[in-house]
Amino acid sequence: MAISAVARETVFALRRQIAKIEGTLPERLEAPASGAPKAISENVRSGFPSGIAEKQIPGDAAGSDITPEITIVRRGLAVASPDAFLHTGIERLDTALGGGLPKAALSEIHGLETRDAGAVAGLALSLASLILKEKQGLPVLWIGTAEIFREAGFPYARGIHALFGIEPEQLLFSEAPKLLDALWIAEEAARMTAFAAVILEIRGSPRLLDLTATRRLHARAQSAGRPVFLLRQSGQAEPTAAPVRLIVSAAPAASRETLAGPLAGSIGRPAFTVDIGKSRTALPGQFTLEWNPDEHAFAERRSREERATNSVAVVPLSLRGADPAPASGAVLAFPALASPAPASATACDQPSRQQRPAHRSPRRAG
Amino acid sequence: MISHRDSNAQRIAALDERAEALKLKRGMGIADARAMHPSIDVVEADPEADRRLLEGLADWCDRYTPLVAIDGEDGLFLDVTGCTHLFGGERAMQDEILTRFFQQGFDVRAGLASTPGAAWAAARFHGDRIVAGGEEEALLSPLPLSALRIAPETRASLESVGLRTAGAVMAAPRAPLARRFGATLLLRLDQALGRLDEAVSPRLPVAPLSVERHLAEPIVLTDDIERLVSRLAVALKADLERRGEGARALALLLFRVDGVVSRIAVGTSRPMREPQLIRKLFHERLTALEQAIDAGFGFDLVRLSVLSVAAFDMLQGDLTGERSDDDADIALFADRVRARLGEAAVLKPVVVESHLPERAVAAVPFAEAPQRRMPPKPDRTAPPMTIFPPERPIRLFRSPEPIEVPATEIPEGPPMNFRWRRALYRVARAEGPERIAAEWWRQLPGEQEAPTRDYYRIEDSEGRRYWLYRQGLYSSASQAAPRWFMHGVFA
Repeated sequence: MAISAVARETVFALRRQIAKIEGTLPERLEAPASGAPKAISENVRSGFPSGIAEKQIPGDAAGSDITPEITIVRRGLAVASPDAFLHTGIERLDTALGGGLPKAALSEIHGLETRDAGAVAGLALSLASLILKEKQGLPVLWIGTAEIFREAGFPYARGIHALFGIEPEQLLFSEAPKLLDALWIAEEAARMTAFAAVILEIRGSPRLLDLTATRRLHARAQSAGRPVFLLRQSGQAEPTAAPVRLIVSAAPAASRETLAGPLAGSIGRPAFTVDIGKSRTALPGQFTLEWNPDEHAFAERRSREERATNSVAVVPLSLRGADPAPASGAVLAFPALASPAPASATACDQPSRQQRPAHRSPRRAG
Repeated sequence: MISHRDSNAQRIAALDERAEALKLKRGMGIADARAMHPSIDVVEADPEADRRLLEGLADWCDRYTPLVAIDGEDGLFLDVTGCTHLFGGERAMQDEILTRFFQQGFDVRAGLASTPGAAWAAARFHGDRIVAGGEEEALLSPLPLSALRIAPETRASLESVGLRTAGAVMAAPRAPLARRFGATLLLRLDQALGRLDEAVSPRLPVAPLSVERHLAEPIVLTDDIERLVSRLAVALKADLERRGEGARALALLLFRVDGVVSRIAVGTSRPMREPQLIRKLFHERLTALEQAIDAGFGFDLVRLSVLSVAAFDMLQGDLTGERSDDDADIALFADRVRARLGEAAVLKPVVVESHLPERAVAAVPFAEAPQRRMPPKPDRTAPPMTIFPPERPIRLFRSPEPIEVPATEIPEGPPMNFRWRRALYRVARAEGPERIAAEWWRQLPGEQEAPTRDYYRIEDSEGRRYWLYRQGLYSSASQAAPRWFMHGVFA
């Protein structure tokens, strides 16, 4: 125990040093809660001579035992608290993105073709709708070039209100004749805190929107603490300063749910296929998200095989509520003492709480 | 020499002194003039360019008085009431105007009198004269009839009865004159003599407030102009505060040394009086106009005018200074974008009661949109208007795009596949139709009724969702086949 405390002290000292070098003092430096020490102890074992090993924590912690209490260290962001992320509500996607979509950052949303504009705009608006749950009343600014509004259609406030709950008064559109003007508007808007989110939509891969331009947008979004969504229709994946790039395409919608079951041939809630194109922490993955326009939340749609193993009862309960099928065998007051209590998989791996210090300390001392 | 075409013949419209010395006259045929002097140089008249030049001069004269009116094809009226003391008196002002015009290369006659008619006559028949109040009659009496601004026919008939000077007309009894030559003659006479008021209607609306600065050394750089704007705005602020108003539209007038005037206007979405904000707006405008404004040898007079004002409500700020005014930030942002990119650069959707999808939301410029209010709290007790609101796309094409539909399953049904922008789409699922008829109450009388539209929600084989409609119905062969359009995209 004493040595683990020393190791922890060393970790924090190093962390502080890294933060000082990077110029960003960590926001949270309290000791990780008792649920987390496994990740740190792994690093202790690996020797962690430099801060670089320390930075990789989310990488190897992301899959296994990330807990809300853990302090996430990422390159550039120094120490980010969990509420710096917008949680999509889909656990797998949040985990893959390392906590969610960063709130104070530029995020790129790509559509492979211009005809995917509906899906791309839909995902951006649903993210904006999630942000508006926290920042009620603030407007959303949508900037686009005249070209994209002509090619992909102008945003339609009635449909947006019905689907994403964003009031028409909360929407502002800006149509710029040229890309340069659109970038100027976006930069001016990104530094303001009066907007809940800024959406910049362009088409293709113009040379003006290079690494420098995205870096400027990203820096402004970071300092204002507001998200900027860069929608790129039919664009190539190019170097970008945005920490996250999502590639979106439309997914066939599920049928409408009625009391009598799914209605055949009907078109239900909007669905998107989301690929993670770039993320500092994520492994590449594909997700099919479904937007719930009533609750303004995402739901993930699993593939057919996964749904088959769904734990929800397939056969509905009988309406009268009586007469469940009788249990087979004899009914006893207590289970038989001879059979060992079935242990869960996790309980087997880890020793119980009292055992742990005694179990671990000698090994670490060595 | 300048020629113009008059009743199918080229005639002399205007000529310079050397041509006059050759005994050529206005109205003479060009052919005759050429026969007399083959070496004359003839230029075709361009009335529009003359007009533009006159308007430019009128703009320039704005530096003397805001009330400048254009008179005919070659004259300007300047109402200098209350302005002369700024230039050191009437004589000094007239001298300065004449000198400046002469330096710009114009041959100008000026007259200053207490009535427009007398000033008009003084300028045309004396050249450089100041008529004191009450001397109008003495001025006009010896002058010919054309000094009275009357139609040539009236003048000819007056001359035919022997009235050759204005004095003779004044001496004649009024009643027979009015009966024989019409009321206009006496009206002009009374106006010139000051018995009736004559208003000079200015070319531009007079700004309620304006501040200007004459510069000894002309300025060229945009930064200098901006600095000057903020200084002028500081002076404006005091006036606006006294009136309890804020500016809704501002104009910056830059008078170039050689007489060209640049006018730069900006609008604000809410009343404004802070010099720093005004400077920011002009900064954007000047950046956008960088190519269009030619500083030349510099500007020697800069004027900042408030074109329209609105009541300015004072607001109590937060003592901690933490609460920021988001609406004000957004208004300033919209104004800056508007100053740089034009009126329609920031749009706000406004919901309109209409069934037609393209009319149901109007995108209005931010400054004209109603003020934003907090979104109303949803009233949970009230029943919803419709249980199943019609599904609307999230993007709408400004003009519906025609698509080719080769076949539908049933005559009034959705298409099986369609071709849009040269790509073929297979319809996997379809919902509809939703029939939307044209609004007959907006139809003009005699106009043919627009065909109804049947909207379908379509999902193609790759999962994209579209909004199509069929205009018209499949009916008897007498009518044209209905056409299909792509109108929107769903999420």
